[in-house]
Amino acid sequence: MSLKKSNLAQAWLVLLLATLFGTALAGIQAKLGPVIEANKIKETMAKIPVLVLGEDLAAELAAENQTLTIKSRVIEIKQNGTTKFYTVYDVWLPDGKMVGHVVKADGQGYADKIELLLGLDAQGKSITGLFVLDQKETPGLGAKIMEDAWRGQFKEKSTENTLAVVKGGGGKEDQIDAISGATISSRSVTGIVNTTIANVTSQLQVTDGPDDNKSPAVQNEEPGKNKERS
Amino acid sequence: MADQPTAMERFVQGILPENPVYRQLLGLCATLAVTNGMKSALTMAVCVAFVLVCANVVISLIRNLLTPHLRIVVFTLTIATFVTVADRVLAAYMFQMSKTLGPYIPLIIVNCIIICRCEVCASKQNVVIAAADALGQSIGFGLALASIAAIREILGTGMLMGFRVLPAFWPDWVIMVLPPGAFITLGLLLGLVNYIDFKREEARK
Amino acid sequence: MDYFVDILLIALSASIINNFIFYYFVGCCPFVGVSKKVDMAFGMGCAVTFVMSIAAFLSWGITVFVLIPGAPVSTFIAGFFTTPEAAAQIDLTVLSYIVYIFAIASSVQFVEMYVRKFFPSLYRSFGVFLPLITTNCAILFACLMIMSHVAGVDNPKEVWDLGKAMTLALFGGIGFTIAIVIMSGIREELELCDVPKPFKGAAITLVIGGILAIAFMGFTGVDSGIKNALKPTPAVQEQSSEASRNTLTQYLADITCKGHNGEEILP
Repeated sequence: MSLKKSNLAQAWLVLLLATLFGTALAGIQAKLGPVIEANKIKETMAKIPVLVLGEDLAAELAAENQTLTIKSRVIEIKQNGTTKFYTVYDVWLPDGKMVGHVVKADGQGYADKIELLLGLDAQGKSITGLFVLDQKETPGLGAKIMEDAWRGQFKEKSTENTLAVVKGGGGKEDQIDAISGATISSRSVTGIVNTTIANVTSQLQVTDGPDDNKSPAVQNEEPGKNKERS
Repeated sequence: MADQPTAMERFVQGILPENPVYRQLLGLCATLAVTNGMKSALTMAVCVAFVLVCANVVISLIRNLLTPHLRIVVFTLTIATFVTVADRVLAAYMFQMSKTLGPYIPLIIVNCIIICRCEVCASKQNVVIAAADALGQSIGFGLALASIAAIREILGTGMLMGFRVLPAFWPDWVIMVLPPGAFITLGLLLGLVNYIDFKREEARK
Repeated sequence: MDYFVDILLIALSASIINNFIFYYFVGCCPFVGVSKKVDMAFGMGCAVTFVMSIAAFLSWGITVFVLIPGAPVSTFIAGFFTTPEAAAQIDLTVLSYIVYIFAIASSVQFVEMYVRKFFPSLYRSFGVFLPLITTNCAILFACLMIMSHVAGVDNPKEVWDLGKAMTLALFGGIGFTIAIVIMSGIREELELCDVPKPFKGAAITLVIGGILAIAFMGFTGVDSGIKNALKPTPAVQEQSSEASRNTLTQYLADITCKGHNGEEILP
C-alpha cells in the first residue's frame, strides 16, 4: 500500500516539477526569444553596409549616424529539375537612391555547406563585396576563404564573365587566385559566386522604392518563362 | 554520519583527486568536442558549472521526496530545464559562441558527470555539501578542459585566446584542432596523469 | 531523383564521412568503455542503432506536429484560447530538449520490454546495455541534428521530411557500429601487446581512436564529389574558354531583355 502511495506522490511531484519548470522556460522564451531572433537578423544586416558600400563609405555613414534602408525578398529559381532559393536584400541610401543588392547564397564546399553574402551593384553589373557567413572547411587551409585578403579579390569584378580559379597568381580580369593547399575550397566559393550571378542578376530589378510598404514579395520566376513571352 | 566527507573535503576532492575527466572518465564527448579553442572550452566549463550547481541544489532540496523508481525522471527533468536556460542565455548574449558550440550545449543533459553527481551526492546530502561537491567537480572539469584546450590551440594555431604564443615560423599542426587531435591529446594527457600517479605511489612506498 | 541523391548523401555523410564518433565525438563513453570484445561491441552498436531510429521517429514527429510555430497540434489547442493568427505563432521549441530526452527514455524502455519478451536470448547478450543507452550522447545528438534541419531552417521548403530524418538516424547508428567494432577488433589484439603501464585502458584506446579518426578523415570531400557528379549545376565549371563565356553572356542577355511582366527592359 505504501508503495502505491509513494508512487502516486511521486507522480504528483513529477507533474508539479514539470509545471514549474515549464512555466520557467516559457518565461525565459518570452524574455529571450526576441533577443535571439534579433541576433540572427543582425548577423546578416550588420554586414550589408560594408558589402555594398565598401569599408570607407560604410564607416562614413556610420559616423554620420545614417542608416541604409534594407528590404529582403526570396527568389526561387527552378533549373534542371532542382529548386534553389536565394534571399536578396535591396539596399537604398538615406536619400532614396538604390545603391545595390546583397544576395545570400549557399553551396557545397569541400567539407560541408558554405554560406555567403554576395554584394552586387544596383544594376547587377559588378561585385561590390563578398562575405563568408558559415563554413566548415579545414582550419588553416580551406578556412582561409574567410580572410579579407582573399575575399578582396572579388571586389570590382564584372559579372559579365564567369570567374575562373587559377593557381599561382591570377592577374587577369576574370581570374581568382586559389589559396595554396585549398584549391577545392577556392573553387567551391567561386562556383557559388558564378552560379548566383547567373541565376539572380535577372531578378534584381525592383519596381518599389524604399518607402513603399508592400511586404517582401516571394517571386517564383522561371528563367524559361520569360523567353516564352516573346 | 561522521565518516562522510565534509563540504570542504568534497570540494577539494572534485578538483584533482576525483577529477571527472582524468579520474572518472566522464563527460568525454564534451571534453573532446569543445577543446579546439580556449574560449569555447571556458564557456563550456562555465555552462556545465551552472547546470551542475543548480541541479545539485534543486535535487538536494527535494531529496526526501524521491523514490527509487522515478528519481531518474526527476533528475533528467531538472537537468534538461537548466540546460535549456543556459542554452537560451548563451544564444541571447553570446551568439557567436553559441553557434560555435552548437549542439554540444544541449548534450550537457546526457553528460554523465551531472547525472552521476546527482545520484551519488545530491540525492543523499544536504544543500551545502551538494553545492560544494558540484563546485569542486566543476572546477576540476574546467581545469581538465583548459589543459586540453591549451595544448590543442597552442600547437594547432600558435596562438592562445588571440595572443601569439609560439614564434611565427611554427608550422601550425592543424591536426591538433581537428577531431583526431582531440583523441590523441586526451589519450596522451591521460597517460601522463597515470604515470605521475604511479610515480607518486612508488615514492610513497 | 533529386530526393534519392539527397538521401544517399545524408546516409554516406552520417555513417562514414561525418562519423558520429570520429567527427562529432558523440558516443565516446561506450566507445572507450565497452569496446573490449567484438561481439559485445556489435551488440551495443545494434542496440544503439535500433534505439536511435525509434527516438528519431518520435522526436521528428513531435517536433513537426507539436513544437514548431504553426504546428497542427499546438495551433489546434491554442485555437481554443486565442485568435488563429496568434495560435499559429506559438513556438514551443524551448521545450524541445526536455521532450527529446523523454522520447529517448521511452524508446529505451519500449525496446527493452520488446526485446525481453520476444528475443530472450538477444536480451541476455545485450540487454544489460539498454539502460546505459539513455545517457548515450549519440542518440540525443541525432535528435538535435534532425531538429536543426526542421526547426532551424528559414525556408519551409527545405525542412527535412521523415525519410531524411530516419536515414540520418539509421546510418548514424550504422556508422557508430562500424567505429565501435573496428575499435574492439583492435583492442582484442591489443590484449596480447606490451602496452606501457600508464597507458593501459582508456589512454591507449583514445590514442588509437585518434589514429582511426585520421584514417576516416580521408573520406572528407567524398560527398561533395558525388553531389557535383550527380547534381551538376551550370556555371560551376570555370574554364576560361571563349565558348562558355559566350553562352553565359547570351543566357544573361536573353533573360534581362524581358522584365517580370513581359515588358522590355533596356539593358
